[in-house]
Amino acid sequence: MMNQSQILAPDARAARHQVWDVFLRLFHWSLAASVTVALVTGFLLDASWVRLHLGAGILAVILVMARIVWGFAGPAYARFEQFLPRPGALRAYLREHLAGAPRRRHVGHNPLGALMVVALLLAVLGLGATGLAYLGGGLKTGPLATILPATQTGFWSETHEALAAIILGLIVLHLGGVIHESRRCGENLARAMVTGCKEARSGDLVAPHRPARPILAAAVVLALLASGGAAVVALSGRPLQDPPVAAAEFPAVYADECAACHMAYHPALRSASSWQALMARLDDHFGEDASLPDETGAEITAWLTANSAETVDNRPASLWRDLSPLPVVALPDTPQWQELHENVDPALFKRRAVYSRSNCAACHRDAESGWFSPFAISIPKENTQ
Amino acid sequence: MKKALILPVLLAMAPPALAGDTSPGALIEAYSAQSGSAPVPENGKALFLGKHVGGKPDTPSCATCHTNDPRKGGQARTGKPIDPMAPSVNPKRFTDTRFVEKWFRRNCNSVLGRECSAQEKADIIAWLSSL
Repeated sequence: MMNQSQILAPDARAARHQVWDVFLRLFHWSLAASVTVALVTGFLLDASWVRLHLGAGILAVILVMARIVWGFAGPAYARFEQFLPRPGALRAYLREHLAGAPRRRHVGHNPLGALMVVALLLAVLGLGATGLAYLGGGLKTGPLATILPATQTGFWSETHEALAAIILGLIVLHLGGVIHESRRCGENLARAMVTGCKEARSGDLVAPHRPARPILAAAVVLALLASGGAAVVALSGRPLQDPPVAAAEFPAVYADECAACHMAYHPALRSASSWQALMARLDDHFGEDASLPDETGAEITAWLTANSAETVDNRPASLWRDLSPLPVVALPDTPQWQELHENVDPALFKRRAVYSRSNCAACHRDAESGWFSPFAISIPKENTQ
Repeated sequence: MKKALILPVLLAMAPPALAGDTSPGALIEAYSAQSGSAPVPENGKALFLGKHVGGKPDTPSCATCHTNDPRKGGQARTGKPIDPMAPSVNPKRFTDTRFVEKWFRRNCNSVLGRECSAQEKADIIAWLSSL
């Protein structure tokens, strides 16, 4: 197909080539915007931006799906058959390029640019897949919630982050390639992605005409969206295995005794042995005497043990499940907690409404449920002391 | 949480005899009888507001959490609000013997490193009741 598409243009047949169709241009700039938003919210902003991050990520994946369909049903320059390079063509292009400038100009994607297109599309799909896995395992949300255990969260989040770093590198290379090629050809390629047109020059490698099938493409994209959406809804609705005990089911003795001084920490935040060690030293409870009558202490310890981290499949439970029971350490003093809060301004914890790092519920509206979902974060407003 | 809010309201509405098993006056009387001398509100004030050594380092004073004005609410080191201590603004204070004993035991140990004497308890309640 490559050979067929590389027909020499008759000199100055038209002053301009119509290269990038409207959908392709819309796709390009929407993808650039959504990936930028996803990168900024993911790398620079804290977890309270997760909604925007997810929205941007989902939009990027839908755009790429639509682009793939357009790669089969779009006009000539949008089609994969036009620009997907074979290894031989790529080698020849590189050889030509390294020896000096290639003589002929590719009006569509040149073989190296085409490789970048494929890499970027694959990276977005990979980010979508690992993001979905992170969401499912870690946040117990979405179609993979009942399929992936929370203990895999670390793997998926690290893979997701690594892919994000890769796509960042690809974007830098892509911009470098556009600047380089724009200079070399004396034509602003970024503007061509806005107007869709390129100047016609003699010797241009142009693609033979291919009719676009927008109605077919739209139908396929809609069918994919509908079936994908239906699958997501069906899978997301399945009941979770081993969810944390609901706050409404906390026994009165726990609310009366423990939650008199601090929020009712969820029993799944510590392992059974960690709770037992903590309850054994209530006379020196994080710097205060919180001692209880023996039978009350035993009753609370039994309940904490029965609902401890080992019994629950969610992210907070998996984070502190292996915490050493002794010495009894406050969760904010653990590396896990500090890594999760590294983007939080330390001054926030001094605000009157928060006052202490142990006051989870000041920002995590769902703290007592044991979920600590990023969707439930609301930072209290600045407040005079 | 709802119950914790409803209870004081109910207690405030109920006649004093039903508000709990005791009252600030009855407690002052009982602790004074135990110590054998009259309560001294000024001593209670000094004990409550003073800085102490011997207790746990994070809680050198009752005022650390209860603030210097017992008519206002305090805040535990965990961020949890504490209702005012003065019975004049918080009528449910000092109406439950077990509750009072539990918190004297814990908090005297946290602040002073020891239990409070009956005299000290009488002094503190007498001062708080005078506000």
